[in-house]
Amino acid sequence: MRRSLRRLVLPAGLLGLILLLALAAPLLPLADPVRQNIAGRLALPSANFWLGQDEYGRDVLSRILWGARVSLSVALAATIIAAVIGTLLGILGGYFRKFVELVTVRLAEVVLCFPPMLLALLVVTLLGPGAGTLVVSLGILFAPAFACLAYAETLSARALDYVTAQQALGAGPGRILLRTLLPNIAPPLIVQFSLTVASAMVLESGLSFLGLGVVPPSPSWGLMIRGARATMEQAPLLLFWPCLALAGTVLVLNLFCDRLRDALDPRAGGGGPAGFLRRAAALPGPALRKDATPGLLRIRGLTLEITGPRGPVAVVRDVGFSVAPGKTLALVGESGSGKTLTGLAVMGLLPGAVRVASGEILYTSRDGATRDLLRLPEAELRALRGRDLSMVFQDPSSSLNPLLRIGSQVAEALPRAPGRMARVVELFRQVGLPDPEGRARAWPHALSGGQRQRVMIAAAIANHPRLLLADEPTTALDVTVQAQILELLAGLKRSEQGMGMVFVTHNLAVVAQIADRVAVMYAGEVVEEGPVAEVFTAPRHPYTAALIAATPEGEAERLSAIPGAVPQAWAMPAGCRFAPRCSEARPACAQTAPPLQSIGPGRATRCLRWKELA
Amino acid sequence: MNALSPPGISAAPLLRGENLSRSFGGGGWFGRGRPILAVRGVDLHLARGEALGVVGESGCGKSTLGRLLLNLLPPTSGKVVFEGEALDALPAGKLRALRRRMQMVFQDPYGSLDPRRSVGAQIADGLLIHRMADATGAAARVAELLRQTGLEPAHAMRLPHEFSGGQRQRIAIARALATRPDFIVADEPVSALDVSIQAQIVNLLADLRSELGLALLFISHDLHVVRHLCDRVMVMYLGRVVEQGSAAAIFAAPAHPYTRALLEATPSMRHPVTAAPLPGEVPSVANPPSGCPFRTRCPAAESRCAEAMPPLEAHPADASRQLACWRAAELA
Ligand SMILES: Nc1ncnc2c1ncn2[C@@H]1O[C@H](COP(=O)(O)OP(=O)(O)OP(=O)(O)O)[C@@H](O)[C@H]1O
Ligand code: SF4
Ligand code: SF4
Ligand SMILES: [Mg+2]
Repeated sequence: MRRSLRRLVLPAGLLGLILLLALAAPLLPLADPVRQNIAGRLALPSANFWLGQDEYGRDVLSRILWGARVSLSVALAATIIAAVIGTLLGILGGYFRKFVELVTVRLAEVVLCFPPMLLALLVVTLLGPGAGTLVVSLGILFAPAFACLAYAETLSARALDYVTAQQALGAGPGRILLRTLLPNIAPPLIVQFSLTVASAMVLESGLSFLGLGVVPPSPSWGLMIRGARATMEQAPLLLFWPCLALAGTVLVLNLFCDRLRDALDPRAGGGGPAGFLRRAAALPGPALRKDATPGLLRIRGLTLEITGPRGPVAVVRDVGFSVAPGKTLALVGESGSGKTLTGLAVMGLLPGAVRVASGEILYTSRDGATRDLLRLPEAELRALRGRDLSMVFQDPSSSLNPLLRIGSQVAEALPRAPGRMARVVELFRQVGLPDPEGRARAWPHALSGGQRQRVMIAAAIANHPRLLLADEPTTALDVTVQAQILELLAGLKRSEQGMGMVFVTHNLAVVAQIADRVAVMYAGEVVEEGPVAEVFTAPRHPYTAALIAATPEGEAERLSAIPGAVPQAWAMPAGCRFAPRCSEARPACAQTAPPLQSIGPGRATRCLRWKELA
Repeated sequence: MNALSPPGISAAPLLRGENLSRSFGGGGWFGRGRPILAVRGVDLHLARGEALGVVGESGCGKSTLGRLLLNLLPPTSGKVVFEGEALDALPAGKLRALRRRMQMVFQDPYGSLDPRRSVGAQIADGLLIHRMADATGAAARVAELLRQTGLEPAHAMRLPHEFSGGQRQRIAIARALATRPDFIVADEPVSALDVSIQAQIVNLLADLRSELGLALLFISHDLHVVRHLCDRVMVMYLGRVVEQGSAAAIFAAPAHPYTRALLEATPSMRHPVTAAPLPGEVPSVANPPSGCPFRTRCPAAESRCAEAMPPLEAHPADASRQLACWRAAELA
């Protein structure tokens, strides 16, 4: 919040200055804006007339400032009228729908159909020129845009849970409209306000320029532009000053409203947008590792950082685990524990804000050579992606391009060769899509969630990958469909010889179902790793034990909850990251960060007290 | 029907839903809109202090049913009776006054709180709307509610985005409790939460239920959670109730083929799933199959299942349970 307020200072100051100058025009020692002085006709700027004199020898500076009074007050008054009437109509129409919607919003839409200039001309011709008419006509002109915007925003906000919650509390329509809906639809309206003031000023200038707005000799920027046009060749500066005033004011206003909207957003300043994934910069050093013992995937000391307000923050710290050919490793942990980032790091794709700080990801490819993916040049890594390494995401609906038939989308994963489509159909059959030939020509929206996930899996296994990363592939699905997808993945492991899998999930029961080994993550660290059966029957880390106890299975009368919440990335405890929530914590735990230590064949834990607790 | 209530729970129902149905749309653009039958002919009753679980897969009408019971959506047919008063017959003012006694907790803890108002103000809303307290009284009650839901009174000044998902769900529960309601609809209140936090919220709801004598309609797709919290369960499929009865009995011996499939498909840490998964997916609500809604996926389906809808009838061996299946007697 504070940062966005600071960003508001500059435009607010500029806007204040403009308003102050306009308001103070009568008090300033300015020449009379309408006093003519033929002798000084078209004179250039001078000590007495800082901006020069116009075609009647009037002081340009004085006319700009006095003109600001007229232009700004007409534009602001018209916009305020438009905003109040339009918002009222739109919000009522959107909230009550039915009849009210018909009279308010449809009416506004009819008005919107007229070209603005034409409508303004019509009103001015009917009511005669003058500032008052101008305000009324611009108000009518701009109200419908507010109405339509407020209507659309209300419609979408009305369906939100917190509005329903107000209804459920028994709040009446007035309270809901004023307290809940209005503040929440305000931001786009504020932007609309700034745009409208700007166009009202431009339109005012236009109408005055046509002689239909402010009546001369009163100064207004539009009139000044109109006057200066005739003498454009002799005195181009005369055209420049009112244009500068107009453009400058419009710019300042836009900037102000834009920043005001940001300042009103309660979440302002919090973490930026997730954004696109991009190739993480390769670490320095040789990628080829002759010394390493071949396996399929071995991650060691992987640390990923983001830049926080107080320096770098490790969102994934010292993560390590390994996957053998034909085996499945489950990466399990609560939201924000770094599971997805770890998976993405293997693919060499990370959100823009995240960078690799250290570690190694050793991958042994088909030729038997072991390479460090973190140090591999992008060109070589790209050759692995989609062929050796492939990935399935959580949300099957957002992973498919809605504008492409699913057959062609899967075909894109295959090398260009005749018979590509036949291979797609074969893949669809392999992942159990009903009617594979017909489905290949279907659009994504025609498929159910489970079928879309099958399509994503078909694309992922198209090139017989050696390592499949599946990030919560069943979380968005129903239980019975989840069971189908889990069975499909288990079947693939058998049919795709030697394919290893990293399965990211937060559900321990799914881990038991699908994985051979499990790595439990907490707050960016792997806290325990080992074979699933061993870890689940004899956990060697208090967090794993607590997680198992919290899973609502079995007969226990009461679930055992873990108190507190996962610490935020920038407020990690100094010692053991689990210490504040750990029932076994001792003072020593808060001092030393425990290392991930091997505690037996294929098992590791990150707890200082594992021996005492075993 | 009251025979269903376990001992210790008063027999007079607090709330009754009679033959509730709700459809959406129909007509529509290009004349091809078919009405979506989200809820079809559901009867239910809830005693004071009782917890009823509603389970089923997405689109089975669970959320719609919850909103119908609170009259946040009017039913297309059927009615809801709260303490002997039919909600649809009440004038708007009286209905609003009655809302003090029935509340809702939503699934998405990020969407159910107004991002622009302090959590204290939102918790106090109900108190002020129903004039149950003045500003100072409301502040005291907000502090008490925050403490009751495991938060700190100082949190009242903060905005929702400063809280984690689990904390927000506590705030939503505090808001629902503010007016001391008798009945709460909790629509998947723990589905968006992590396991460890989920346990905190489930325990909180269980405690509040026993301390305050709340009646609870707990909507969930997680059978394990329902089993922990609820006395009775209602299993829904495509807008219909296919099985209902005491939670213990249904979990011990599910009778309807769908309930069985659902239980078998639910992964478990202790007993890995061995049964073959149910084929296919839930059909579209806009175009439900003829006869039994489950017949397109039912391993026990026969030709008669396509002909007519099986009625919800007493379980052949246990009169306190009911299920809708033509083959109930053979399969039991
Ligand atoms: N406002 C609406 N307009 C049109 N259709 C709706 C509306 N609300 C619900 N539906 C439809 O009604 C059916 C039941 O919806 P409901 O939200 O009750 O399901 P649910 O069991 O709660 O699903 P989930 O577990 O995904 O939340 C769905 O097919 C849904 O698409
Ligand atoms: S190191 Fe200490 S605080 Fe950390 S998990 Fe072990 S016992 Fe708990
Ligand atoms: S009625 Fe038929 S189709 Fe429906 S659940 Fe029973 S056996 Fe299956
Ligand atoms: Mg729902």
